[in-house]
Amino acid sequence: MRYGMAIDLKACVGCNACTVACRMENGTPAGILLCRVEKYETGKYPAARMGFLPLACMHCADPRCLKVCPTGATYQREEGPVLVDSHKCIGCQYCVLACPYEARHLLRKIENYYGPETVTPWEERKRETLTRGTVLKCTFCAERLERGRQPACVEVCPANARCFGDLDDPESDVAKIIARQGGAVLKAELGTRASVFYLNS
Amino acid sequence: MTKAGRQERSNQAPPGADYRWPGVDPDELGQVRTLYGICGQCMQGDCATLLHMEDGVVTRVEGNPTAPPNYGSLCPRGAAQIMNLYNPYRVKTPLVRTNPEKGLDVDPGWKEVSWEEAMAIVIERLKEVRAKDPRGLLIMEGFGNRDSLLRNHFADAFGTPNVVGSHAPLCSIHYASNLVHAGYPEQVAEMEYCEYLLSFGRSLGPNFATTGAIRRFAKAMRRGMKLVVIDPRCSIEASKGEWIPIRPGSDLACLLAMANVMLNEGLPFDQWFMKHRTNGPYLIDPAGDYHRDPSTGRPMMWDPAAGRAQTFDAEFQDIALTGSYTVNGVSCRTGFDLVKEGFRQYTPEWAEEICTVPAATIRRIAREFVKHAKIGSTIQIDGFTFPFRPVSVNTHRGVTNHRGGTYAELVAKLMNMLVGNIEVPGGCVGDSMRGPLLEPDKDGVVRPQFKAQPHPFKFPPDSIDGHEYYPHKNCTPHLAVQAILDPARYHVDYNIEAWLNLGGNPIRKNAQPQKYVEAMRRVPFVVSIAYHMDEPTIMADVVLPEHANMERDIVSVLVPPHQTVGGEVYGADTARVRQAVPALFDTRHCDDILTEIAEGTGVLRGPGGVYDRLNRAVNHLIMKDGFFLGEGTLDINRKHAREEIQDQLLKTWPRGDGKGLAEINQEGFFRHPRSEKEFFTYYFFPGNAVRHPFYFEHLKKCGDALRADLRQAGIKFPGIADEETIWEQYQPVPCWIENSEFQAPPEYDLWVVNWKSPYHPHDSGNPGGNPWLAELYTEDPFDFAIFLNSATAAKKGLKDGDHVVVESRHGLTSGKLRLTELLHPDAVGIPGSYGLGTLQSNPLMCHGPHYNSLLTTDDNTLDAISAGQEISPRVKVYRGGEAR
Repeated sequence: MRYGMAIDLKACVGCNACTVACRMENGTPAGILLCRVEKYETGKYPAARMGFLPLACMHCADPRCLKVCPTGATYQREEGPVLVDSHKCIGCQYCVLACPYEARHLLRKIENYYGPETVTPWEERKRETLTRGTVLKCTFCAERLERGRQPACVEVCPANARCFGDLDDPESDVAKIIARQGGAVLKAELGTRASVFYLNS
Repeated sequence: MTKAGRQERSNQAPPGADYRWPGVDPDELGQVRTLYGICGQCMQGDCATLLHMEDGVVTRVEGNPTAPPNYGSLCPRGAAQIMNLYNPYRVKTPLVRTNPEKGLDVDPGWKEVSWEEAMAIVIERLKEVRAKDPRGLLIMEGFGNRDSLLRNHFADAFGTPNVVGSHAPLCSIHYASNLVHAGYPEQVAEMEYCEYLLSFGRSLGPNFATTGAIRRFAKAMRRGMKLVVIDPRCSIEASKGEWIPIRPGSDLACLLAMANVMLNEGLPFDQWFMKHRTNGPYLIDPAGDYHRDPSTGRPMMWDPAAGRAQTFDAEFQDIALTGSYTVNGVSCRTGFDLVKEGFRQYTPEWAEEICTVPAATIRRIAREFVKHAKIGSTIQIDGFTFPFRPVSVNTHRGVTNHRGGTYAELVAKLMNMLVGNIEVPGGCVGDSMRGPLLEPDKDGVVRPQFKAQPHPFKFPPDSIDGHEYYPHKNCTPHLAVQAILDPARYHVDYNIEAWLNLGGNPIRKNAQPQKYVEAMRRVPFVVSIAYHMDEPTIMADVVLPEHANMERDIVSVLVPPHQTVGGEVYGADTARVRQAVPALFDTRHCDDILTEIAEGTGVLRGPGGVYDRLNRAVNHLIMKDGFFLGEGTLDINRKHAREEIQDQLLKTWPRGDGKGLAEINQEGFFRHPRSEKEFFTYYFFPGNAVRHPFYFEHLKKCGDALRADLRQAGIKFPGIADEETIWEQYQPVPCWIENSEFQAPPEYDLWVVNWKSPYHPHDSGNPGGNPWLAELYTEDPFDFAIFLNSATAAKKGLKDGDHVVVESRHGLTSGKLRLTELLHPDAVGIPGSYGLGTLQSNPLMCHGPHYNSLLTTDDNTLDAISAGQEISPRVKVYRGGEAR
């Protein structure tokens, strides 16, 4: 079993609902987004277009971040998700540098949403789960998966652009859609064997 | 005129910056619960949510996976709504002003008072106003409280006609749909079956980020719908289809030329529809009116087989769509011929000069549109045979908000009618109640509804909203403030003595903000039912703090969504509940505040009171599909708790089955299946049961009546230099109207355009002040800046990142320049709705270029029908302004 995701770039409208849902799920403080949408222009007027590329951890089958971690804080679950054990993380940031997808963020400081003087009850509660000086990253919503739910970014997407499931199961929706449409991974040449596939890229 | 949008501010820290939150209610500790919600992060209030709470804190909001229209998904604003609740800049307790000087940058010297004290002041003052002249109360409302049950009934019971929407003079999009479809608010593309969609100056969901519309959009694009977007900017939608750039404000020329190609360049059209389902064959006399049968007064058509004219409702062997006929000694033409001939002058080559869309492209699009219409084809839905016309052309505020803008949307309607796609699958469909809307009037034509049904003329006017002069108007806060500042200008013979502001922000959201500030200063008593210290609230004498959306319980019926419609919302009537999360502050539900004011001013109970009116109220949007209490349901002589009213609304819902609040609190929503065919209002009046207006006789008639009324009153059209500029917009055949910007001095060499941003399409739910969204919009390469085509910038020597001023003839604003290929070279783009703000605002509300400061309320620039404001004034751009 290997969890993976397919993101249909033809469907994505760049609204960032995924980005916000991710924050709501993970309680990331101001300035840190574990999921984001890169927006860019292509072409020259009048043949120009907007492009959208949703990004997060690629949960590589061969993760570079894992190899460089000196403490074993970064680990990979059998079913694919690459996670960080914050108790073991020393914040050395080797993984941040090693990740070719800029998917890791050192939590140097916990910034409040409304400025230094005010911590909302929501932040107060969420920050119980955050440890300063450790690295944050997308977990494929590991806790939600345990409860039989899909990652937050998948469920929230109004364009239904994301499909999540077991890449190893040829009967899963995600495997079928990749088999049919042939998704591409980012920076395939690096051999990271990413688990996030892009359709219509 | 406001310079630079806002003045420099002193260093006063806004209240909230160092706010200490109240502790958690001990009763909530250890509690984990889920409430049913309805999202309030856009004016549509469509999406059903689940609100998860732990220990009294709302920890997570998600879409309700089983409920339409979002089925578990949300837009970015919906996903960010927790920060709408936990916002330290909210107004937390009733406030009374101590400083008589009023201004956006003047400290009101607030005194915190009890609710009793605040309400006593409000009730006392409003009683005085009512005793003198109830019309002296202005209720300035907005989308933020669109779900209020009592707002309109309170106004009616109080006796004031002055309920003015703060929204909409920059979104006057209703007239043509209300006329042709008899539906409100607008007409949209039917996305389940549409195969070719031509979209002018509007969002189809993604740009606005409305969840249901994005779902339909993505689905339609996946199945291969062809999308053509004609717009000064390559929007998200345009990026997914074909983008045809157009010069801002010139859509009317492009549409006239496309319609001309369809009418006069040998393209097929839906002959059956034109003959049997429009007034195109009606005979028109030399004055431009219907030629009426002398004995019955009914309009007539020519039967070429019988060689005579008959009233439209007679048996015809054939109907002449074209030709000249002498009937009863009067020489007549068909309406169709008059339209066809009127449009002949508008060649694609002529249009290209104005709108820059190449003539060949105009011809190609017109031909593609007709080709994809599959004229003559049918489709079966639930056993009923509909015409199948899988094409639609739709316009919106980018097209309509110019002088002559109503003509532009009417021309788009003519194009739709030529292919026969009105209210049928795949075509152009209204989004109000789904039912027997297309009822014919005595002339056999769809009875105009809503904005197309003119306000009656009364002189001197009762209302300050200008509806005597603009009888088809959309909301007109701009006319209202001008009438406050100068009542004689509109022949208003009384003064506004009190201003009750709720759910809307007329200052920030309209042209010439300073004019609104002046008007608010002029009104002796201002009350704001407020969520935060926005512009109208800092101008208030008394502030009554209201709940945030999540704290405000409501029941509502899902309305057919705006922007587009499609399969997921067909075949179901749905009522939903929003269960309130505990209030954080000393705030109240808007309807409770109104109830108390109504009680205090003596208008709550008894005949003609709020409850009496609520009993009789029909939903303005979805009519018989909405709640309807019915006479006698609420005892009008006693006070009712909100929950009791909600319970009754559910139990008496005409589409429901008698279940009430207790049941919906368990289930979250009630859904009652209905046949999908009923979504298409053609079904209720099929075949030749009704005719759509193709020749706009009703518009002409209204213009004639208005002119006669003005003469009778002995006045000229107020505020207008040349009255002919009004009457040219009341013609039965749309014609080219040069809007106010074409003759601007040459130094204003560009046109400014605005577009909805997914994070900040408008202020409902205060997205601008939401830090989660701010983190996105401030960094988004397509947002929160001033945009210019790279080639245009190069000519001006401007560089990416320069701080620039955009200046119109009416005002200016400034910001950081971003160069792009996604914009017409004649356009300057300023997205979203940022900027302005007050001394005590959330700082996020003060940042960014304020688009509306570039606009004007000048009557001469308005569309004569909708009173909509010019949305794309001419501007110049130069380096300058201060970087912030």
